Amino acid sequence: MVTQSGQGEQMGAGEQQDARQGPGQKTPRWTHEMLMNMDRRFIFVVIAIAVAAPLIFPLNLPVRSSREAEAYFNEMEKLQPGDEIIFSFDYEPDTMAELDPMSVATLRHAFRKDVRVLAQTTYAGGVGIAERILRQVAQEYDKVYGEDYVFFGYNPDYSATILRMGESIRSNYPTDHYHAPTDGIPLMKGVDCYDDIELLVTVTASALAEYWIIWAGGKYKQRIIAGNTAIQAVLIYPYYQAGQLAGFLGGLKGAAEYEKLIGVSGAGLLGMDAQSVAHLAIVCFIILGNIGFLIQKSRTKQTGGPRDSRQGG
Amino acid sequence: MKRTGPVVFGFLIGMLMLIQYFTQVPWIDDRYNNVLDWKQVVFGITLILGVVSLFLHHWKKIERKTGGWGYSVVTIAGLLFMIAAALIFGREEGPYPWMFDHVQAPMQSTMFALLAFYVASASYRAFRVRSFHAALLLTAGVIVMLGRVPLGEMMGFHIGEHYFSLGTISTLILDYPNLAAKRGVMIGVGLGMTATAIKIILGIERTYLGKGA
Repeated sequence: MVTQSGQGEQMGAGEQQDARQGPGQKTPRWTHEMLMNMDRRFIFVVIAIAVAAPLIFPLNLPVRSSREAEAYFNEMEKLQPGDEIIFSFDYEPDTMAELDPMSVATLRHAFRKDVRVLAQTTYAGGVGIAERILRQVAQEYDKVYGEDYVFFGYNPDYSATILRMGESIRSNYPTDHYHAPTDGIPLMKGVDCYDDIELLVTVTASALAEYWIIWAGGKYKQRIIAGNTAIQAVLIYPYYQAGQLAGFLGGLKGAAEYEKLIGVSGAGLLGMDAQSVAHLAIVCFIILGNIGFLIQKSRTKQTGGPRDSRQGG
Repeated sequence: MKRTGPVVFGFLIGMLMLIQYFTQVPWIDDRYNNVLDWKQVVFGITLILGVVSLFLHHWKKIERKTGGWGYSVVTIAGLLFMIAAALIFGREEGPYPWMFDHVQAPMQSTMFALLAFYVASASYRAFRVRSFHAALLLTAGVIVMLGRVPLGEMMGFHIGEHYFSLGTISTLILDYPNLAAKRGVMIGVGLGMTATAIKIILGIERTYLGKGA
């Protein structure tokens, strides 16, 4: 697969090479050029198939849990019936596919253990997500709003929200998301700051986990676990190793590991085959591109011609 | 006074916040809560400011019929519709949650999902073994990419009696080179932030006061 424009560009380089080699010594350059200049539409189609096919025909690849996911699970498992946790939906619809499975699995685990949940979001776009997931999981476990869980909604300014909840949740949220006074909510009896909370869970696609660790963890010594997108997970590794973060889930793989640990299959486990095949497809493309690049490099060396600086990057 | 006043005010508030972190004095705690209150109020006002300036920006584009003004019509229509829907029908039912669930959520998810295709295409074109460093980056990237999915965990090799899966090697890469680099950056950023904060409190750094301060 060669793009029309790519073909044109390569013709120029090839013609120069032919001129150097003389007539009758034409090299089959189309092979490495093909490998180096695949049409992006071809790549898009392969990735689409790599994602869709395993969803239709599951491979059921085995999922092994990482120590971070096990630590996350253990923190949840330590909770006793009647304990309270804060659950912060710190993401918007763009990362729903990666983070919703973590939120659903964590709430299932909490409600299964009769742990009470104080939910909130630091993103305006997180309100709709939080309401949908809370409603869905609460129905599964027959949980009652106000007694087993409460939703405070969105408060502007995450830094002040995180810090003020260490002083008083009531002063930060005088009412819940549905305008009911916080003082009148049965679940809130005897609960007003981090000292009354066993565990804080943040599921986020941004640096919010770091902010929770620095402000709620550093200043108020709140125990924290986090669910992150795969890219963000790499950035919070140091906090986990330092013990500032008690456990975390990284990307859809983290969600799948946690689902396996709690024994409830969900979107995380379902997506593992697709993610595996898609990653493999990307790696194959990279390898093919490099084979082409190395062939070109060796031929350029043999002919003593200049390197084509347009290739690669 | 125009310059000295804000610097003195900054010094007092800065010192108050600093002392508050290390003490349990009720009066200082109350002032700290006052500052947090003001911070949230100011943040709320900036949201209103943002909505108004967004409206005015697009309104001007429509008035002047500048390039792409049709998109501005859609932006303003969407903004007004969502405000009206929430005010008339409420946030919990009616068109407001419906628009969120069936328009905003799928659109945002679609935009993010497209990244998978562009990342595939971009990494194919960008990852070339042009030098030793590039080869190192490529190898680490491929190992982590495969090691973080179940398929990669099934791949590996034996050295003597020990079996190393790509998952194990990926964890080693994340635990040591990644962690060392990230910690170095974090310590540097932390020291820089502390130095800047001290300079602001002491009035050495005054760029926040504007030009000529």
